[in-house]
Amino acid sequence: MLKKPFFWIMVATVIAFVVMPIFGGIGVRESLFLAAVYMILALNLNLMIGYTGYVNFGSIVFFGLGGTLGIYAITVMGWPLWAALIGAAVVVALLALLLGLGILRLRGAYFALATIGVVEATKSFVSNFDPFGGSTGMYISFSSYKPLGGPREALWIVYFLVIAVLAASLLLGYMIKRSRFGLGLFAIREDEDAAMVLGVKAPLFKAIIYSVSSILPAMAGVLFFFKNGVIQPDQAFELTLSIEAIVMLMLGGQGTVFGAALGGFAYEQFRGYLLTSATFSNFHLVIAGALLLLIVLFAPGGLTGWLHERWSLTRRVLE
Amino acid sequence: MKKLALSLLISASLTAPAISYAKDIVIGFTTSETGKLNADSTPQLQGFELWRDQVNAAGGIKVGNDHYKVKFVKYDDQSTASRVQQLYVRLVTQDNANFLFSPYSSGLTATAAIISEQYGKVMITTGAAEGKTYELGNQYLFQMYTPANLYLASALDAVKAKDPGAKIALIYENGGFAKAVAKGAKQYAGKLGLNVVMDEAYDPSTTDFSPILNKVVTSGATVLIGGGHFADGSTLARQLHEQNMKLKMISLLVAPDVPKFVELGDAAYGVSVPSQWEPEVKFTPDFGPTAAQFTKEYKARYHVTPGYHAAGGYASGIVLEHAIEQAGSLDTDKVAAALNKMNATTFYGNIQFATDKSDHGLQIGHDMVLAQWQKDSQGKLGKQVVWPAAAGTAPLIYPISK
Repeated sequence: MLKKPFFWIMVATVIAFVVMPIFGGIGVRESLFLAAVYMILALNLNLMIGYTGYVNFGSIVFFGLGGTLGIYAITVMGWPLWAALIGAAVVVALLALLLGLGILRLRGAYFALATIGVVEATKSFVSNFDPFGGSTGMYISFSSYKPLGGPREALWIVYFLVIAVLAASLLLGYMIKRSRFGLGLFAIREDEDAAMVLGVKAPLFKAIIYSVSSILPAMAGVLFFFKNGVIQPDQAFELTLSIEAIVMLMLGGQGTVFGAALGGFAYEQFRGYLLTSATFSNFHLVIAGALLLLIVLFAPGGLTGWLHERWSLTRRVLE
Repeated sequence: MKKLALSLLISASLTAPAISYAKDIVIGFTTSETGKLNADSTPQLQGFELWRDQVNAAGGIKVGNDHYKVKFVKYDDQSTASRVQQLYVRLVTQDNANFLFSPYSSGLTATAAIISEQYGKVMITTGAAEGKTYELGNQYLFQMYTPANLYLASALDAVKAKDPGAKIALIYENGGFAKAVAKGAKQYAGKLGLNVVMDEAYDPSTTDFSPILNKVVTSGATVLIGGGHFADGSTLARQLHEQNMKLKMISLLVAPDVPKFVELGDAAYGVSVPSQWEPEVKFTPDFGPTAAQFTKEYKARYHVTPGYHAAGGYASGIVLEHAIEQAGSLDTDKVAAALNKMNATTFYGNIQFATDKSDHGLQIGHDMVLAQWQKDSQGKLGKQVVWPAAAGTAPLIYPISK
C-alpha cells in the first residue's frame, strides 16, 4: 500500500486539512470543517452507491442518529466526548446491520424508496421520543465544553477529530476497494445474480457494507452536533442533505475514493462561495442548479471521469 | 430588490453631504432569503433595514463624541441550520462584525447562539422565542421576544374570562418552538382550571389536516389553540373554514400575524393570534419612535402594515443603539452591561433582560397581546387588539359567528 501513489495523495490531503487552518485562521477552519463533514458523508455513501450499486437516499439517517445518540450520551448521561463517539458508532452500526439484513433484500428503486422510509421513520420516532428531547431536541450546556478548555477552544479539538474521521473514511474506502471483499461488492454491482453464482454471499456482503458505511458518518454526526450546540430532529434528519450527498458523489465521480472526496470538497466550497459572494448570493440556488445540470449532462462520470477521459494516466494514480 | 436599491440610494444621497462618520458599526446576521422560513423572516429583515436607514439618515449612532454609521453584512441561511455557524463565524472573523442579530426562528438561533459565546459578541435575538437557549450559561445573548412558554397566556386568559367551561383542543406543529409554546399553554390552562380535551402535535409538513380535524370534532372541543409557523398555520386555518368547524374560538401561532394571512379571505375571519406587538398598541417610549410613527414609516416604505416580526426587527435595532450610546463604547462587555441594566419602554413594549446566570438574556419585561381578524363596517378584514381588554381596540368576538 505504501508504494501506491494514491496512498500518499491521501496522506497529503489529511496533512493539508491539518495545516491549512493553523495558518489560514478560524474562517478557513469553519469552511474546512463543513467540507470534511461533507467528504465523510460522500466517501461512506460511495461504499454503497459506487462500490455496491445500491442507491441509498437515506444515508443521512446514520449522521442524524449518531448525533442524537452521541449528544444524548453527553448531555443526559454525562459521558465524555470520546466515549460518546464510540458508543454512538457501535449502536448505529449494529442497528444498520439489522436493518440492512431486512431492507437489502429489495433492489433498485424499491431499495431507494425504502431508504427514504428509514429516514422519515427514524425522524418521526426521534421527534416523538421524549428522552431525546422530542421535536425540541437536546441543548448542550456551555459547561459541557469545559473539559475541552471551554466553548471556543473545544472547536479546535472537534475540528481535528473530524479530520481523523475523514482520514479513516479515506483509508476505509481505499482498503475496501483493494480487498477481496471489495471485489465481491463490485461483482454485486455489475450483476448480483451472477455474483451469487460465483460464490459471493451477496445478502451478507450487502448488510456488512451497509453497516460499515454507517460507522464514520455516525461519528461525524456526534462531532457536528457537539459543535452545533443543539440537535433537533429537523436538522439531524434533513433529507436534503442526503440528496446533496448523492449530488456530491455524482459531481466528483462515484466508485472512486478520489471522486467521492473531491465531490464533497468541491460541493461545499462551491455552495459556500455562491452563498457569500456579493455577486451571486441573490441567486445562488439558480447557479448551483444550472452548473450541476451541466455536469450531469456533459460529464456523467463526474470530475474524476472527466479527468480519466482526458488523461488516461490518472486512472493509475487517482483510485 | 430594485425597490431596496432605490431606497438605499435615496437615503444615501440624502445623508451623504451632511454627516461625516468616524467609522462603521458592523452588524452581522443571517436571514432566510430562501426556504420555508422566508415569509416569516422577510418582515424581520425589513424592520432591521428600516432602522438602519433611519439611524444613518439621522447622523448614525453616537459613541462618545464620534458618529458611527451602521453597516449590515448579511447572508442567506436557506432556512436550514447546516451553514448557520459557518456564516456567523465568517461574520465575526472575516467581516469584523461588532454586534450580531439572530437569524429568524428558535431553531436557527439556537445554532447561532453559541457563536456569540465563543467569539464574545453581543447577539440581540429576535424572532426566537424558545427559552432553552438562554439556560445554557451564556453571557452575551439578549432576547427581544416574550419566551415561548408564555405565548398563549393571553389567549387562555381570554377563554377563562369569556367561557370558563370551554373545551380546549391543543393542535400544534411538532417543532421546537410550537411544542415549547404548547407545553407552556397546557401548564397555564391547568393553572386557570381550564379543560384541555385534546393535545396533539402534527408534522411540520402536514398539508391535509382532515384526520386531525375529525378528532377535534369527536373530542367535542369548542376552542382550538395551536398552529406553528406560516405555512402550516394558514393551511390549518383554511381547512378549518372549509370543513365548517363550529368552533367558538381559534387562536393560532405566528401565521395570522403575517400580513399575507389576509389572503385567506373569510377563512381568516375570527382567527386570533398571540402577538408580540400590534400597530395599535400605545406605549410611551423612553427612546425611539411611537408605534404610530413606526407603523407610518414602515407602511410608507413597504406598503404593508407591519406585524410583530417587523416590529421585533426594528426594536432590536433601537435597543442595541440605545445600549451602545449608554455604554459610550463598542466594547462587548460594556454594551452587554448596558443591556443588562436596561429596563425601558419602547414602541414595542417594555424591555428588560434576565441577568441571573441560570437564564441570562431571557426577556422578562415584555408582555404579549391577543389580536383577532375582524371585519369593519364595509366588511373589510383587519386585525384588532382584543386582549388584554383594557389595551384593546375592539372587543373579542366570542363565539366566532360566521
